[in-house]
Amino acid sequence: MRYSSKKRAQGVILLLIGILLTVMFLFPLFITFLSSLKSNSDILLGMLELPKQWMFSNYPEAVKTANALNTILHSLIIAISTLVLTIAVGFPAAYILARKSYKFIKPVYILFMAGVMVPVHCTLTSVSEMASTLGLKNSYIFLVLLYVAFNLSQAIFLFTSYIRGLDKGLDEAAKIDGCSEMRLIWTIIFPLCKPIVATEAILVFIFGYSELIFSLILLTDQRKYTVSRAMLNFTSNYTTSYGPQFAFVIMSMIPMLVIYIVLHKQIQEGMLSGAIKG
Amino acid sequence: MYKRRRTGSLLILLPGILLTIIFVIYPVIRTAILSFESWNGVANAPKHFVGISNYISVFTSPKFWLGMRNSLFFIIGGFVILMPASFLMALLVTSKVKGSGFFRTTFLIPVMLGTTAVGLMWTFMLNPQFGMVGKLAEIFRSETVPNILATPVQNTWAVVLVNEWMYAGYNMLIFAAGLVAIPEDIHDACRIDGCTGIKKLFYVTIPLCKNMFMVFSVTCITGCLKVFDIVWAMTRGGPMDSSTTPAILLYTEGFQFKLMGRSSAIAMILLILGLVISVVLNSTIFKPDENL
Repeated sequence: MRYSSKKRAQGVILLLIGILLTVMFLFPLFITFLSSLKSNSDILLGMLELPKQWMFSNYPEAVKTANALNTILHSLIIAISTLVLTIAVGFPAAYILARKSYKFIKPVYILFMAGVMVPVHCTLTSVSEMASTLGLKNSYIFLVLLYVAFNLSQAIFLFTSYIRGLDKGLDEAAKIDGCSEMRLIWTIIFPLCKPIVATEAILVFIFGYSELIFSLILLTDQRKYTVSRAMLNFTSNYTTSYGPQFAFVIMSMIPMLVIYIVLHKQIQEGMLSGAIKG
Repeated sequence: MYKRRRTGSLLILLPGILLTIIFVIYPVIRTAILSFESWNGVANAPKHFVGISNYISVFTSPKFWLGMRNSLFFIIGGFVILMPASFLMALLVTSKVKGSGFFRTTFLIPVMLGTTAVGLMWTFMLNPQFGMVGKLAEIFRSETVPNILATPVQNTWAVVLVNEWMYAGYNMLIFAAGLVAIPEDIHDACRIDGCTGIKKLFYVTIPLCKNMFMVFSVTCITGCLKVFDIVWAMTRGGPMDSSTTPAILLYTEGFQFKLMGRSSAIAMILLILGLVISVVLNSTIFKPDENL
């Protein structure tokens, strides 16, 4: 009796802590959303009050002055191309690394893993040198290839260990039936690896959508700005009117939030396997 | 036949190998060379060999040490605040409390928002004119509203806390994985032996999550050494470099002051420091447990 009531008290306390933390994590988001619908004078009155005048026009204003929708679109295109290419390059490579035993397999694997140890910042000066020598500043293709290279080590690590866990009999059967290597990889192995592919896709997507430092050094043309870059530019140059700034921040979050709400289960699992790789 | 298959395999590996060599391996080597040169970042401008003078100027500049101190603040914050907080959050979401699934989902939202958006959101919240700070100052009857992001030391800690707000949910997932992996038998044994509450936490649960603490330590320390996005979004490392970090310096020295050599030297220092720390952590302090 005593035990169960103690247990219940514990449960209530945990629940309260959980609610408190939920408020802590959602409150800034809520305040930002509220402020995105306010006029300047309402914002200066304080963040907690409801808007006296609902300024839905802040959103079109941000779209017009900061090109918000275009920059979000740019980031989405970059993120999606990075993720497609990372999988297209990384998956077959991981299959070879997992299944073959040639002499070059081990050194190649080590080469890919070196990418895990190198922080992106350590390549800034030389990557920028490379881009300006080749005249590839402002080139999305260059940016995407760069992102792919930096995501490849994680992708290959996750895919290789997943494929190693699959039954080899399948490969043999397919080979006896005269199935070519590429067809085997994409039509038989790939569908079996859906969970880990989804995981990696999500991690790469988050990276590609919000990456900042390379877009700072490589994108100089305002028309090509990514969403992070454009937001920073907008908030430091457009200081007279606050509402549209809040609106831009909210708009930038919408694609990620929608994806998260739809796929939150896979994302939680995905982030986990990505985190433990170290 | 064997040869043809081997060439086929190599061809499949080739795009990945090329990308890694062009964008990871070559740039690191090139940065190492640049760190011994003087160059203003203009494509055709001459580069001069200057020996180790870039390293000397980095090590003798107060900015660099300020940045290292601020990195240390990030690490201290990580171990003193983030680690216990995310471990407790993991305990919460793995407990059988009502709504634990909902909590897990909401705690992870900040990571999904993107660093720049999070940084800007909190910059608004901390704005002395219209942010929440004004409200707090009113509550505490303070005459002046502090401008936290413009006050040295305070601004770094503010960024540290925002960074922790953002990544608490992510680290919670790491610890949750460790907690879920503890076998049910152990919980039963504890109950029979009357080992519950705090005692169980310190003698059973935490030791069994040792690997997760190791993962946390390595990612925290190496992550804190290279923190850039959140600082850039909130303070740009300023005012007067007071909230700078080595990665911010790397960017400002190279791309604002056009000292590419010095920037490369900072990059090499960061790279080597990160490698040494993760090797040392992995091999000595936290010997990975074979059976977990």
